[in-house]
Amino acid sequence: MSADETKKGWLKKILIAAILLLLVGAGAAWYFFTQKFEDTASTKAEYTVNALDLISEFKKSDSAANKKYSEKIITVNGKITSVESADTTVNLKITNPEGSYIIFAFQQKDLADVKKIKEGDSVSIKGSCSGGSYSEILETEYITFKRCSLNK
Amino acid sequence: MKKAILILALATTGSVFAQKKTTTSATVKFDATTKLDALPVAENKTVVALIDTKGGTVAFEAQIKGFQFGNPMMQEHFNGPKWMDSEKNPTSTFKGKITNVADVKFDQDGTYVVNIEGDLTMHGISKPLTGKATIVVKAGAVSATSDFTIKLADYSLGNAGGKLADEPKITVSADFK
Repeated sequence: MSADETKKGWLKKILIAAILLLLVGAGAAWYFFTQKFEDTASTKAEYTVNALDLISEFKKSDSAANKKYSEKIITVNGKITSVESADTTVNLKITNPEGSYIIFAFQQKDLADVKKIKEGDSVSIKGSCSGGSYSEILETEYITFKRCSLNK
Repeated sequence: MKKAILILALATTGSVFAQKKTTTSATVKFDATTKLDALPVAENKTVVALIDTKGGTVAFEAQIKGFQFGNPMMQEHFNGPKWMDSEKNPTSTFKGKITNVADVKFDQDGTYVVNIEGDLTMHGISKPLTGKATIVVKAGAVSATSDFTIKLADYSLGNAGGKLADEPKITVSADFK
């Protein structure tokens, strides 16, 4: 084999490798960019808690509770104290006697069921915990959830 | 006399309190989409908001982790240490004033365009923000909407090599109680 032919062979190999890398890269990019959140209803909850206990836990140590629950899927059981409209959707809220509260924003597909819920109803809600903060406006601790689903 | 002062004081605080309307379900939409990237769009529906119908104070508090994206990777980047860093800066706030609050008749049905001046804090940085909002009074209920743009550079946030809009659009809406 001449030196020229060896060079050509290498070039060919490099070209094939580059095309393969490009395809893998494009595939990975496609995967990440078209990925969507799974339906919360079919996701397993990492914790199941009583609403008022969860508020107490956040009030006791905001930082410890945030570390434990933030961005985790959690099932919360409790009695709804108010139903609030949020733009075109509806949020459910559970407030303790001191005014601290948990608020749940729902997945689009659950909204029809959520709109049937009334104050005083006992519910079981599964959602992604966004964590707790102290509100300077309301002077109270509050915990928010997103992407929620009503457990049936 | 002392009793009279006490009653007066209570009555005053009572009426001041009534002028402050709040909500825990205000929504804030964040849209940094470009022709290159349609994914950076999110909504937070559990924003705390306040309006003082007498003094004109307006305030908002939004948890950064409360912003819901359609795409999980985008949500991770938004919260990550290279962008909002929501572990270190968990909330974004706006504190400001309606400069022409006297023009709004909160006891009459109507639609009013107001001017707002204040400071927006996010990513641990506070910058002045001015804009317009529309207040609707209907059967005693007060709602407000506003949209404006912010400059990412003001808050030391990068544009991911041009994939994010340099001036994302923010849309706010609140139904006060």
